[in-house]
Amino acid sequence: MPNIDISALLTNMLSAAKEPLLQKWSETSGYAESEFKKIGEAILFIEKQRLIGKMTEEQAKLHLEMQKNASRAILLTIEGLGILAVEAAINAALSVIRDTVNTALKFPLI
Amino acid sequence: MKNKEHRLKFVSFRILCIISLLYVLSIIGCANIRLIADYDEQIDTSITSFQRKVEAFLTYLERNAVKDEAKYENNTKFYDEAMVDLSAIRVRAAANPKNEITIKQIDLLYENISNLEKLHKLGIPAEQIFPIRTAINSTCTAILKLEIAKKRGRS
Repeated sequence: MPNIDISALLTNMLSAAKEPLLQKWSETSGYAESEFKKIGEAILFIEKQRLIGKMTEEQAKLHLEMQKNASRAILLTIEGLGILAVEAAINAALSVIRDTVNTALKFPLI
Repeated sequence: MKNKEHRLKFVSFRILCIISLLYVLSIIGCANIRLIADYDEQIDTSITSFQRKVEAFLTYLERNAVKDEAKYENNTKFYDEAMVDLSAIRVRAAANPKNEITIKQIDLLYENISNLEKLHKLGIPAEQIFPIRTAINSTCTAILKLEIAKKRGRS
């Protein structure tokens, strides 16, 4: 008769994994919104300067490239935070089953 | 009968999932999984210091835009130092495994300093410093945000 209740194990793992993923999303969305807003304002400013003839085409392209690079950096952070969330979810899932699995197997596997 | 067969398949799948998980754990033999590099205090402090240096330079350009001393020719030293700083930060980041995202972000910051240099050669009026500041600050914030999250994610 196996000591490990697979159904209970999976329920606990899913429940433990859910929380870190939700937490990271709420942190990420607020940060992204605020940074993208600043970049949007900067792009608007570039457009205005261009319209009043105070910025050459070459300058406008360089300014825009800088804003695009900043946006890329923000998206990379969001990607990284997502990876951290997945990592936290996996580790949370493993943590809740650690005692059960180690006790059943009679050696510290996890 | 069909229902029983379906349930049997479902239970078998769950058992397979658990066995796979235990197998992976036995191979890696560790308590916690690492999918991204650990927090590096040196990256944190270097980027903070770099942002301060660029901010001081942009403020200087803003205040002295019409003067000769703010012309590109008189400020090439800033760009040389900034490129060396970023190169050193990149080398440090590359020494940590699973740090590709931070390396890409440092490359983007490098590109933005290079774009700032090109703009400076063309001439930057004081009022056009604003979007440059936003782009560089947002890039530095993005790097720091991820670096700090690496620490908090494992505390």
